[in-house]
Amino acid sequence: MIRAEGVEAMEYPELSDRFGVSGVPQTTINGGAGTVVGAVPEQNLLAEIMRAVSR
Amino acid sequence: MTDALLNEQIIGQIREAFLNLKEPVAIIFFGSRENFDYCDDTRRLLEEVSGIDDRLTLKLYDIDTDSEAAKRYRVDKTPGIVIAAMNGDQISDYGIQYSGIPSGHEFSTLIQAILLVSSRESGLTPQTREFLKNLQSPLHLQVFVTPT
Repeated sequence: MIRAEGVEAMEYPELSDRFGVSGVPQTTINGGAGTVVGAVPEQNLLAEIMRAVSR
Repeated sequence: MTDALLNEQIIGQIREAFLNLKEPVAIIFFGSRENFDYCDDTRRLLEEVSGIDDRLTLKLYDIDTDSEAAKRYRVDKTPGIVIAAMNGDQISDYGIQYSGIPSGHEFSTLIQAILLVSSRESGLTPQTREFLKNLQSPLHLQVFVTPT
């Protein structure tokens, strides 16, 4: 049910463009339902995930 | 015979990091003929890494000819790496993947992922675990990175 995928942005430029990746790391949740830019504490990531899945 | 990708110094550092390995880990690789250069480099890198410790098992697949396995592991890109728990012959897939060559800084990310899975502990807070346990629908996190 959970899939956590590290993606090398330069090898997948179309995907990076689609999700508007400029600064890394960027965490895209469920194909764009949520986005977190930068390395953030667990609490912050969890909050954004909760927001994203409730949409 | 082509040169090894990892020099003695790096192998030594990895060996030291792997002193902390607990349980066995499966490194599952998906390549494709279309993306041969990247895939070949990645495969060779994983062969060298998995050869450093007996607790690591490398499994090699082709995303096209092994499409069943690709579906099972939810891999849709090559080179694709899955880091999974191995208990005897059983593989437990935690959904931990990397797409692309894990070079530069991402190489240490690969080593960290192996150690994490080997520990069998996520290190997450009880609050996060509770939320994830109660998830009713798939969650796909994609972390975009660059090697430099």
